Amino acid sequence: MGRPGRRGWKRGPSGALLLLWAVGAGGCARDPSRGARAGRDSTTLVAAIASDPGQLNPAITTNGSVHTAAELLYDGLVALDDSLRPTPALAVRWEVERDGARYRMHLRRGVRWHDGRPFTAGDVTFTFQQLLLRFHARTRASMAPALTTVEAPDDSTVVFTFRRPYAPFLQQLDVSEAPILPRHIYAGSDPLRNPANVAPVGTGPYRFASYTPQSEIRYTANRDYFRGPPALATVVLRIIPDADTQVAALEAGETDWLYSVPGPARQRLSADPRIRLVRSAVSPGGSNCITTLGFNLDRAWARDLRVRRAIAHAVNRPQFVERVLFGEGRAADAPISSGIAFAHASGLPIPAFDTAAAARLLDDAGWRRRGGEVRVARGVAGVADGTAFTIGFKGMPGQMTYGDLLRAQLRVVGIDLRLEPLEPTVFATSVFTARDFDAAIGAYCNGTDPEIGVRRMYASSSIAPVAFSNMAGYRNPAMDALFDQAGSAIDREERRRLYREIQELAVRDQPYVWLVETTGTRAYTTRCRGFATVSHFAATAVCTR
Amino acid sequence: MHAVNARFVGWRLLQLVPTTASILLVAFLLIHLAPGDAVLAVAGEHGDAAYYDFMRHRFGLDQSLPRQLVTYVSQVAQGNLGYSYVYGRSTFGVIVERVPATLLLTGTAFLISLLVALPLGAVAATRPHGIRDVGVSALSLALYSTPAFWVGQLAILALSLRLGLFPVQGMTSAGSSATGWSHAWDVARHLALPAIVLAAQEIAVLARVTRSALLDELPRDHIRTALAKGLSARRALVRHAFPRALLPIVSIAGARVGHLIAGAAIVEILFGWPGMGRLLLASLQSRDTPILLGLFLVVSLTVVLANLLSDLLHAALDPRIRLR
Repeated sequence: MGRPGRRGWKRGPSGALLLLWAVGAGGCARDPSRGARAGRDSTTLVAAIASDPGQLNPAITTNGSVHTAAELLYDGLVALDDSLRPTPALAVRWEVERDGARYRMHLRRGVRWHDGRPFTAGDVTFTFQQLLLRFHARTRASMAPALTTVEAPDDSTVVFTFRRPYAPFLQQLDVSEAPILPRHIYAGSDPLRNPANVAPVGTGPYRFASYTPQSEIRYTANRDYFRGPPALATVVLRIIPDADTQVAALEAGETDWLYSVPGPARQRLSADPRIRLVRSAVSPGGSNCITTLGFNLDRAWARDLRVRRAIAHAVNRPQFVERVLFGEGRAADAPISSGIAFAHASGLPIPAFDTAAAARLLDDAGWRRRGGEVRVARGVAGVADGTAFTIGFKGMPGQMTYGDLLRAQLRVVGIDLRLEPLEPTVFATSVFTARDFDAAIGAYCNGTDPEIGVRRMYASSSIAPVAFSNMAGYRNPAMDALFDQAGSAIDREERRRLYREIQELAVRDQPYVWLVETTGTRAYTTRCRGFATVSHFAATAVCTR
Repeated sequence: MHAVNARFVGWRLLQLVPTTASILLVAFLLIHLAPGDAVLAVAGEHGDAAYYDFMRHRFGLDQSLPRQLVTYVSQVAQGNLGYSYVYGRSTFGVIVERVPATLLLTGTAFLISLLVALPLGAVAATRPHGIRDVGVSALSLALYSTPAFWVGQLAILALSLRLGLFPVQGMTSAGSSATGWSHAWDVARHLALPAIVLAAQEIAVLARVTRSALLDELPRDHIRTALAKGLSARRALVRHAFPRALLPIVSIAGARVGHLIAGAAIVEILFGWPGMGRLLLASLQSRDTPILLGLFLVVSLTVVLANLLSDLLHAALDPRIRLR
């Protein structure tokens, strides 16, 4: 190929190109310890992330890719353990006063920012007042209406005072919901354009080292970390947009950790002795997610409870787990995720898979099957007689596999589903702003407390042009009252009882069909161990060569 | 440069202004008329309505469309492409960081496609409908009709995972702090596979063009004369037929630059190559309008300039062509 004009054309095409086609089933052995890992030793970990975060300030956004990349650098006042209970982080202890309307947080002494400046209560009040309560979508939406003041009586105490008892507060203080940022860096600047957003200074287990856009972000261990220095000297977050390429990179030894593995690749990886898989309900985009079918209750057909129940009967949940999730996840059996153990109700009368019952309910509701496959209306309020039962189904492209299966399942009972895939930003405006949909699918992440991720689906005040709010447009004053009580009750048993009532009411009214609880699969090389599933995943990890 | 050429180039460069201005205007309107909301992508989900209004106001997205257009145009007129919503930095800086990677990838792919396609086309043309010609045609057809993302996956599985010849992804080794020649070698190893995959379709097109251009040339009198004078078939082809056959090849290759850039987007995503194509897709998904418009500007300038270059080359290769 070197001198084409003289020789190449006589000799025919050269090997390199044909190789591309010829190699495939070849019996060449794989050598796992080959070149790719050269230069990497036991002190470096490479983890793959899917998208370039753009910036690394987790206090001004709830964007999953920013949080994945930034949470290693920061801490919250508390951390959450595996059962989501608050444990000390930047705060070492706290007192709940006035029946839960005031929280007094005592801060850890001697903590320093990565630039050496001391961490004080002023950083906490500044972060809440100027960053979180203004820019962090979830914390602003849930906490700002309830909070009256954030004060620092001295350098190591912060007092939060609420209008009324506020139960979920401690669950909202971890590094995802309320990361603490340095006042001396952000004071007096536009937080959205502060240069520190791409060269951050935190208190977390890792310090920022470098950021090469679209390529990688590097971190070095914080030797002065208050929980003790991490074992790994360097962590590299490598940006690899394609999920299959991520898997290939793990197999080739170019990365050590994947946040998620696509279903079809899972079996291959689980057979690989060099790779270990672990499941988690927590993912960078949110935790304890339930994939949910929502009805637009403004539509005449959807207002009839019998129709909603019929659809719930026609849905075969285990099939979704098997065919869409490749076995990763579980059929949802309640409106609140089993990941929030204290609030999840068991034994609820969720409509069982029963196509005969579905058919009866549809007949009763006036949707008759006359020979044809699709039912037609006869005496349905608000629907002209003879109208075929066709439902538009909106979802993001990644969720159309749910649509395909749902379409097949509803076809059995005579309902025709018309799939309308939309890209994420368009989906949000079309469903939540324009409310131009019949039915839609969404992954509702319940988070660490029902106040964060469940209330928004049912409260009538959440019927708003906001993504993943009350999609159904469901209003029930009894439901609103129950959520208000549950949000201000401090006693866990009392909250458990109230959330059970909430779930019973939700099942009775059926504004949604809760399909499956999804979990993610992490994959990592066996040369490393000791990963945590959440934000500081690499802080406790240890690798060998 | 010849006086006429200088005037021609000046005229063509002047045409750039209305061309790019209209591209920007249409792109601006299309992006703003399309559904979707930048604020959602930038700020994240789960906020309340007041929050999104507040963010929209901060980004100036609450203003009327004509007003936003006026703001944007006056910015661009002052050489300022605006601030990216997602990156919170100047659009120009964000784009310029990605230009070298994309230039390296597309440039290498272009070079590979020429180095492979010209000999392939020549091989096919020497004996039309012979076994080699059929082989080259079949190869071209296969390369042309297989999408880059599939060829890429296959290449990763076969060449990287099975044979271990190339790294799977990225532009450098993860965490590498190599400099100088070892850095260059590292980049070259990472570049090889994406460049070959990107070149594949171009090879198919250019090989076909080369073949037919040569087939047009070979029966002509000047070739027959050359052969009659005792020149070997190879020499006649290389010395006499090839230079004239280059004309259509240059035109087509120039016109393919746009395709090459479009193909680069897919290849960059597949191989995690840190270039403009990935930025384009990510910005499209997050509705980061300033970045999108900036990228459209860069890409349209590149395509227009590539076409200009191919016209100039045309004139240089064929003295009969006068550019006015």
